Amino acid sequence: MSALTTHPFQTRASVARRSETAIFWLFRGATYFVLLCGAVVFLNIFVKGSRTVFQTKAPFVNTAFFTESPESLYVFQWEGQKREMGDKEFRAFKETHPAAANVKAESYVYCAGGIFPCIVGTVLLVVGSMTIALTLGVCAAVYLNEYARDGTFIRFVRLAILNLAGVPSIVFGLFGFGMFVIFFGWNVSLLAGWFTLAFMVLPVVITASEESLKAVPKGFREGSLALGATKWQTIRKNVVPYALPGILTSSILGIARVAGETAPIMFTAAYVVRDKLPWQVDHIGDFFFQGVMALPYHIYVVSSKIPQNEYTERVQYGTAFVFLLIVALIAAASILLRSRLRNRYKW
Amino acid sequence: MASSAPADETHFIAHKGHFRLFGLTLDDCIKVFFGGNAVISIIVLALITYFLFREGAGFFGDNRRNLEVYRQAGLEYVDFIRAQQDDHAALTRYLSDLRVRQVKFYTQEKKLSLAEANAAVAGFDEFAGQYGDAVDPIRSLVSDLTEQATAIKEKFNVMEDKKTERDQLVAAGQPAAAAKVVVVPVDFVAELKPILGTLPAYRDASADFAKRLAEVVSAAPAMPSLALQDRLERFRQLNAEYLAGFPAVLRNLETWDFRKPVPAAQAFMSFLFGREWLTASFWQDWYGVVPLLVGSIMVSLVALVLAVPLGVGAAIYVNQIASPIEQKFIKPCIEFISAIPSVVLGFFGIAVLGQALRALSQVKALSWVPGFPYSERLNILTAGCLLALIAVPTIFTLAEDALNNVPRSFKEASFALGATRLQTVIRIIVPASLSGIISAVLLGLGRVIGETMVVLLCAGNRIAIPDFTAGLAVITQPVHTMTGIIAQEMGEVVHGSIHYRALFVVGMLLFFLSLAINYAAQRIVRRYRIAIG
Repeated sequence: MSALTTHPFQTRASVARRSETAIFWLFRGATYFVLLCGAVVFLNIFVKGSRTVFQTKAPFVNTAFFTESPESLYVFQWEGQKREMGDKEFRAFKETHPAAANVKAESYVYCAGGIFPCIVGTVLLVVGSMTIALTLGVCAAVYLNEYARDGTFIRFVRLAILNLAGVPSIVFGLFGFGMFVIFFGWNVSLLAGWFTLAFMVLPVVITASEESLKAVPKGFREGSLALGATKWQTIRKNVVPYALPGILTSSILGIARVAGETAPIMFTAAYVVRDKLPWQVDHIGDFFFQGVMALPYHIYVVSSKIPQNEYTERVQYGTAFVFLLIVALIAAASILLRSRLRNRYKW
Repeated sequence: MASSAPADETHFIAHKGHFRLFGLTLDDCIKVFFGGNAVISIIVLALITYFLFREGAGFFGDNRRNLEVYRQAGLEYVDFIRAQQDDHAALTRYLSDLRVRQVKFYTQEKKLSLAEANAAVAGFDEFAGQYGDAVDPIRSLVSDLTEQATAIKEKFNVMEDKKTERDQLVAAGQPAAAAKVVVVPVDFVAELKPILGTLPAYRDASADFAKRLAEVVSAAPAMPSLALQDRLERFRQLNAEYLAGFPAVLRNLETWDFRKPVPAAQAFMSFLFGREWLTASFWQDWYGVVPLLVGSIMVSLVALVLAVPLGVGAAIYVNQIASPIEQKFIKPCIEFISAIPSVVLGFFGIAVLGQALRALSQVKALSWVPGFPYSERLNILTAGCLLALIAVPTIFTLAEDALNNVPRSFKEASFALGATRLQTVIRIIVPASLSGIISAVLLGLGRVIGETMVVLLCAGNRIAIPDFTAGLAVITQPVHTMTGIIAQEMGEVVHGSIHYRALFVVGMLLFFLSLAINYAAQRIVRRYRIAIG
């Protein structure tokens, strides 16, 4: 046995070995610390937010929170009991109970009702801007990957894409404000928000699309060209269809980014409060030129403009929960789809 | 080629070469169409630059006029004297700090009761009171002058408003109505006469003031301990320096000329090096970017100090040390963290982290940490911690890529020479990918400096240069940042006003800063890449 334990390749306990283990544990600690921080943020918002979003009685989900507009919350003493009511309910209550007309009620703005208009606004913003960004981005990627030859021009284009990716989102907001809101005179509108967000996410979409196009083997193109197809036919029938799933999944990450950004829509598309829903317009043309409420901006408003207490906390955490859930689902979908796609196409 | 093919074969290549637009075939047109889309990124970049300039460039002209009015209405003149008064106030604060220290000394070292301690410093109180009251003549002079100068400025502003009104009427095609608007130009010479006339009074008051201060200070009571005596000596020295500055103030006032033009460069300098960002003030608006820039840099520094070890460490761990199963788990998780919207993180900072950190700082065992305990919930530290969480995924992903690009043969050669895993990682892998790691850190910096919602919600939003004399404790002070100020004030400013343009100039600065960081990152990758392969 002793001969076995002292063989020349055996790992001997030495200072170097021990310090190696220690330092590797340090690296491991750093990694898991980051994951822990992320988990703490997630769990905090999930746990506290689920108190607003879920309830113990059937249907277990607080449907009012998802289907109503935000309104003020009134808290008052009535017949020895503490009552909480939304704006509309409180007014109806006053009419049915004349004695309540002069009751002293504390009001908390935005704390009753729900966040339906914000969800609608966010969905509209994301759908519109991603349509624009995908159209422009995929076409640009097709050019860069299929047509372009290396040269000064292409170097410029790539440089521009790289730099565009580094521009702070608030600068995109300023740009959108200066160009679409002021210069084009669109005012605070969906259209201005769409274009601002689309330009912001463009580099992500271009890079993702190019990667997917690159992954299509050269033989596909050569085979098609050899059969006499034109370049355009080749791209349309033999390249883009195979790259499309990859393009779409990678672009979902762009969607998460668009949905999560607040700064660019602050002065281009978002309203603090709007009574009408987006489809309640007189002309169909007005649809594009109206501001909307958006989830990220609503979180900003409810977390910075109103004080923190037990009543406001409900709407704050509830909104953050819903928003984080949406973004996390989008991101998870992207990550999952990508790993599945990687396994499916192997050429 | 297609046209020369035999007729019975044309169906096969039928669509080639028939369609022409400006002499281009269909394929060429399609190529141009795609090319046009590729150019959009250049166009967008150009448009961003153009619109930032379009809205912001007017700022420098406006700011120059702003500074001109500051001079012509005599505000600058009054501010010379006001600075003297403010410096005196700073010295008075030093004295009250000294008083607090004395009381502390008496109650803690000498074990006296609070009343006894207060009695013991009674002599000092009288001294401090005399020192403080000595400024009264100057103070009343300043408040008189302030009123007069404000009145002149107000008159000028009214005139400017009328001018705009007249111009608007003319533009609207109503010359008759425009002629009714009487614009009386402000006669600065006449208006300034009373202000300038106070110079002899000031000269007397200032001389009296200096004499009084010297008298009071020379009769300062002795301190109970050596350390405190040192502080008093320091005060004497500061006071002497303060008094020595009086002739310079007088000289400034005597040579002051409201007709002296404001050079164009000053409008630019007062933005770039101005130490004050003060808007909507009754006296004078200042647009100096330094407090915001310092705030942005401080917050980013704290974030990077936290994020670089974590991000790079995690990248090394995942790439070199972790098992494949761990890798498969950790990578998506960190990508997931990068998907957390910044506004949610900002909210988390307000709702949880700010309080948690403050509570942590008030733990007795941690009082040795610089700046602990602190009372401001939202400060550089809170924002920096959250920004670190934003920067880590960026740094991690890019650094991991860089580590991945190191050829296997490097690692194998190192092992073959008998190096341990640690030696291989530290001496071979990391240096070989250092350029990539540095550029990852730079891009992380770019991400952090451009982040808006977290700093807007969590940095405290106090527009002032943090007090660097506090040493490391500076990170527990609230600041305001460039991104934060744009987001906060853009919604409230009047379109086209100087304030509005100032915000666009801040945006311009931010834009160029991010371009510079990007450029540096690319250069480093290209230049210092070790020739691999």
